[in-house]
Amino acid sequence: MAKIIGGLGTSHVPSIGAALDKGLRDTPDWKPFFDGYEAGKEWVREAKPDIAVVVFNDHGNTFFLDRVPTFAVGVADSYNPVDEGWGPRAIPPFEGATEFAWHFVDKLVERHFDPLVCREIEVDHGMQVPMELFFGRPEKWPVKVVPIWVNTIQYPIPTPQRCWEMGKVLREAIESWPTDERVVVLGTGGLSHQLQGARAGFINQDADRAWLDGIAANPEHYRNMTREDYVEQFGSEGAELIMWLVMRAAMNEKVDLVHKHYYAPASMTGAGMVVLENAA
Amino acid sequence: MANQSIPDTPLFDRNGSIRGYRINKMAMSLGQAANREAFKADEEAYLDRFGLTEEEKKAVMSRDWHEMVRLGGNLFFILKISAIDPTPITRIGAAQAGMSHEDFLYHRLGKRAAHG
Repeated sequence: MAKIIGGLGTSHVPSIGAALDKGLRDTPDWKPFFDGYEAGKEWVREAKPDIAVVVFNDHGNTFFLDRVPTFAVGVADSYNPVDEGWGPRAIPPFEGATEFAWHFVDKLVERHFDPLVCREIEVDHGMQVPMELFFGRPEKWPVKVVPIWVNTIQYPIPTPQRCWEMGKVLREAIESWPTDERVVVLGTGGLSHQLQGARAGFINQDADRAWLDGIAANPEHYRNMTREDYVEQFGSEGAELIMWLVMRAAMNEKVDLVHKHYYAPASMTGAGMVVLENAA
Repeated sequence: MANQSIPDTPLFDRNGSIRGYRINKMAMSLGQAANREAFKADEEAYLDRFGLTEEEKKAVMSRDWHEMVRLGGNLFFILKISAIDPTPITRIGAAQAGMSHEDFLYHRLGKRAAHG
């Protein structure tokens, strides 16, 4: 059967991709941020995953408000970067793990989820940036992908508990997939930030640092928080962090926090990552 | 979820989504290069195509980010307007907060370098 080799949590701030495009990696604003990801990239190189499941939200680039899926899953052969207003970015398309993605959709529906199933669709920075942070800028991505979109834009957004439940189904799908493929799960978004309202620019470094440790050691705490709690502690857009719960729930109850990194601000956001491995 | 339960933190709920639909739909269209060219060629005519009210047109044409959000614009959509004549997101954030850009970088984002 296929195997979960690890869980990655990371921010997906669009400015990160723009900084790479503009060659700003080693400028004073960005170098400490990118340097902190080197350990994560090294972990991925050694872990050699075959499939990356990437949990993220669209930011008004692929989905408009005419139809807002709470959860969507990609079963496409390939995903191109979407034009977010600046022209398409010069990064390679992502090859879909089509057969596993369909298997995951089967499992979801068996377990009473009702995802939108996407056969032809583009992906925004929510997926691009995490892939670049952990896989660099290859000519061809070394993994196939399964995108999972979670609506975090228009309320009602799903509850943290629901994201957790989806992670449990993801694990079941991976462990019942009859190949020897190695799967890494990326939960993305956050950390604290707020783009709208008079509290714009809100960053909560204490809550962010507690999150990076707590998501490993005490996920129950975050699973039981309300959406209001997320908005209050992490800002209106920081509520994206609920998507890390999909990744965390797919892992063992006990995990090892192998790497972590925090930097603020990246653009207007508290930013960082974790690398988790299942503990015995 | 009740809106306005957290001070100065508007959540994009059904009211915002309905109210801001025209602005957001117009902004979404700027994800296509040909539409960006049409917007640049005759901005007002472009906004008329999407049925924006005079109030909405004024907010967009004056790049009044605070007003666009007040009218239901969602940052993620209206960021595509900011790509037309590139505006850093921190300037848009400062406009939301009602602060100068420099004060915003210093007091909200903790960028000490901004004050030398």
